Amino acid sequence: MATIAPGVKTGPYHAVLDHIHPEPTSFIRKYIFSIDHKVIGIQYMITGGLFFLIAGMLAEVIRYTLLQPNGQMGISAATYNQVYSMHGSAMVWMVIIPLVTGAFGNFVMPLQIGARDVAFPWLNLLAFWMFPVAGIILFSSFLVGAPDAGWTEYPPISLQGPPGTTMWCIAIFLIGISSTLTGINFIVTIYKMRAPGMTLTRMPLFVWAQFATAGLSFIATTALAAALLALFCERVFGVPFYDPSRGGSPVLWQHMFWFYSHPAVYIMILPAFGIVSEVLPTFSRKPIFGYKMIAFSSVAIALLGFSVWAHHMFTSGMVPWLQLPFMIITMVIAIPTGVKIFSWMATLWGGSIRWTTPMLFATGFLITFTCGGLTGFFLAAVPADYHEHGTYFVVAHFHYVLYGGSVMGLFAGVYYWWPKMTGRMYNEAMGQWHFWITFIAFNCTFMPMHWLGLMGMPRRVPIYDPSPWYVFWNQFASISSFVLAGSMLLFAYNLWSSFRSGKIAGPNPWGARTLEWMISSPAPYYNFKKIPAVLATPYDFGNPLPYLGLEAAEGATEATPTHSSHPVPTY
Amino acid sequence: MSVSVAKQGYKLGHGHDEHDHEQVIYEETRDMRLLGFVLFLCSDVVLFSSFIFAYIYLRTTVAPIWPPMVGGHQLPRLDTAFAAVNSVVLFGSGVTMHYALENWKHGTRSKYNLFMGLTILLGAMFLGGQAYEYAHAQIGGWAGNTFGASFFTLTGMHGFHVFVGVIFLAVLWWQSSRAVYDHERFFGLTAGTLYWHFVDVIWVALFFLFYLW
Repeated sequence: MATIAPGVKTGPYHAVLDHIHPEPTSFIRKYIFSIDHKVIGIQYMITGGLFFLIAGMLAEVIRYTLLQPNGQMGISAATYNQVYSMHGSAMVWMVIIPLVTGAFGNFVMPLQIGARDVAFPWLNLLAFWMFPVAGIILFSSFLVGAPDAGWTEYPPISLQGPPGTTMWCIAIFLIGISSTLTGINFIVTIYKMRAPGMTLTRMPLFVWAQFATAGLSFIATTALAAALLALFCERVFGVPFYDPSRGGSPVLWQHMFWFYSHPAVYIMILPAFGIVSEVLPTFSRKPIFGYKMIAFSSVAIALLGFSVWAHHMFTSGMVPWLQLPFMIITMVIAIPTGVKIFSWMATLWGGSIRWTTPMLFATGFLITFTCGGLTGFFLAAVPADYHEHGTYFVVAHFHYVLYGGSVMGLFAGVYYWWPKMTGRMYNEAMGQWHFWITFIAFNCTFMPMHWLGLMGMPRRVPIYDPSPWYVFWNQFASISSFVLAGSMLLFAYNLWSSFRSGKIAGPNPWGARTLEWMISSPAPYYNFKKIPAVLATPYDFGNPLPYLGLEAAEGATEATPTHSSHPVPTY
Repeated sequence: MSVSVAKQGYKLGHGHDEHDHEQVIYEETRDMRLLGFVLFLCSDVVLFSSFIFAYIYLRTTVAPIWPPMVGGHQLPRLDTAFAAVNSVVLFGSGVTMHYALENWKHGTRSKYNLFMGLTILLGAMFLGGQAYEYAHAQIGGWAGNTFGASFFTLTGMHGFHVFVGVIFLAVLWWQSSRAVYDHERFFGLTAGTLYWHFVDVIWVALFFLFYLW
């Protein structure tokens, strides 16, 4: 409670969390209904991983069907509709959003701000357990006829869809509540529970990304809840909102849905930006370029993200004068995104780069995400969108940003924080193989879709032009996608064998500088024996670590000096 | 956080015994809960706003005239006079809620009990009025047309919030009689008041949109 250092407030900071609760001893309280953010983060990761497996297999069913142009590969057209609808719904709501926020936000963010848990641990527990319940409801809709109007479930098709569409409403509503609660929890955590001295502009960039994402989650998700509630009431009680024959409007759904779902694409990508912003400086051993610009551009993207939703609706019969502002604001988002891309490139420039697995995934992310961002720019242009809307060009675009962006970022994050989660290293060579197979197979799967889309191949249809050109590129994409799926086996095997018998990692295998690497691996129950004081951003490689009062982890490496071995910086 | 740290640093400059430490824990917990609760109310505002958007959209861009035509003739307007009286009841409960909290802070328990009781009573009266209005509204029911759909969905959601609020306040009242709160620590009452005012504000928008527009 004494003066810690010049510029750091005194006082018994973190009084709430200074109190260390006794660690639970029963298996159920420790691993099943735990309120520890690290356990909940790993629970999200395992649950999201399982759903990723299911949703990924649905994707392979789609690609398998498209091996032949006549749609005669075993499943009916009706089943095909259900498969791609469930693939999209599951990937967005049951895989990427829970993984980028629930899993990484929960595991990493409190560690990075020097907290012992999130602000409302019980709320966190509740939010997590809604997730598997929602997933089970969503996937069981296959038993009664899964939703078949695409992940966007546009009425009037969704009004006439199979009974599973109602279950879809319930499942997405539940995961939406979970996402809102997590957003509220994270904002309070980040705003109120940072270690003393960690001003907003000293926060790690991953925390900034989570902060912006949490803002999007808790504002936008209730808009989706309203849209789903109205769809549910219309399907179950016949309350007319969307049915045009009864005075409703299908375009109303599109407005309400995209008011959430466009911010949702930033919910899915901003945390991946955060992961990349941690990985790149660590493996370039250079301060991140443009710290404040990267941080503020996350917030700018979050704010702009609320005013672009109607660019999904250029062909929906919107009034023409509205198209122009939506086109322009959409294009403006390229500016903060470009600020990030160039800052990351400048971070790499002249760095002492170590090509580890997380670094490979982060740089792979840079390439594929930039491609996806550029095609997004094309799609934002109204005349180009008229041509490309509803074609495979759109499919290629959002797989470049969601797989090439979010999922590549997730892989980088898993490989980066795996030693912190388990205390063990994985097989580096196998990790690099995983990267190269993923990177090549991903591009081979989705790059041809640009061409197919530009030539007019519509999405969501199992039958396409049987001329050899279409058949060749579809088969090329399908076979590549099987390889992409196969690379997941390598990933799973690598992590499994690491978990069983990996080399002990030590507290800081990468020589990183954020707070989570200052404690032992796996992180102890209470995270920090003493809450450290923070003097600067964590990215000043070459300077002494900007932390004071930190008790060094057992077996600390040279990258974890205790404060006694360094003079107090004068800034 | 920097603000709260500065405050604590100032407060605890005089030394830190067990009581001070416990006070800081209370204040930090209260601040976090307050922020969380306000954020929850914000996301609730978005829920209402989305349905309000749906109503405005259906009314202005889809329906040729409003109230819409059903079966060859136009639906009647809602009973504004009755709703105005009912609104006064609800807004009155906002005023009594305010005085309930103020009296709690000042330690005037009998007045607190009076105003808290009045708030709950007025809230229940508003719900009764709404039930009466639902029974007598001639706009074709919830599932009949877009007017009924938006009116009953929005006011129904609001009524549900009032209903939850009445229970919330009743629990708070019971808690305060059981000495859960004292005159310095009453986060629950603050949250209840915030929630009740939030319900009031939503009603201002709904009253304008359904009865005056």
